[in-house]
Amino acid sequence: METESRKKALQYFFDKIVAPLGFKFTPDVELKDFLLEQEVMLERKHGIPFCPCQPLRNDRARDMRIVCPCIPFNRQYFDSMKRCWCGLFVHKDVTDPDSLPQLPASDVRP
Amino acid sequence: MSDTFVPAIRVDEVAPGGMKAVELDGREIVICNSQGSYYAIARRCGHMNAPLELGTLDGEIVTCPMHCAQFNITSGQALCGPVPGDASETVPPLLGAFLQRVDELMKQIRTESIRTYATKVEAGWVHVAP
Repeated sequence: METESRKKALQYFFDKIVAPLGFKFTPDVELKDFLLEQEVMLERKHGIPFCPCQPLRNDRARDMRIVCPCIPFNRQYFDSMKRCWCGLFVHKDVTDPDSLPQLPASDVRP
Repeated sequence: MSDTFVPAIRVDEVAPGGMKAVELDGREIVICNSQGSYYAIARRCGHMNAPLELGTLDGEIVTCPMHCAQFNITSGQALCGPVPGDASETVPPLLGAFLQRVDELMKQIRTESIRTYATKVEAGWVHVAP
């Protein structure tokens, strides 16, 4: 299976999911490309495109919460930063993703 | 693949986003309507031979109904293999052992790309070169 084709397919599907949630792909093309490639590798290994910046814990219920795009499971946290934790998705109004603050999850979660 | 086109289905037989299986010259073929463009692919999934017309078509990507392997209908290229089942699901021990064995065997199965066929629309019919 070819990596570039799969990256395009993931982008196609993800875009449909994140747009109604108020998010878009990061305008940083290089970062987007890198993260999608990592997800293709993870999908090849595990059968599922997990978030590339979160650890797998062999706990299905928990691991399924980091299947990309994991925005619905971490909405409050991501909204406070205007980005997801790996930076693949940002709020629709963001044009300069590097300027976004990174907050510890403990500051946001109740 | 032959150069001879044969009429397969009428254009109004498959709505956009739909698929229909036909048999042409002994070959099982699925005609896909992707936003008004027609594509023809082999009916059998490149993973475990499931009938692809029972899956879903989204844009140019068909998803197999059996294990969710995906293929590009314009090129036939395999995009991803099967999605793993939920191993933590509680099932009777005998069934669990069987499913585990099937899972082990599935890991040995490669998802191959599928064949595509040339299509053209003429006089209200989708023609395919099987």
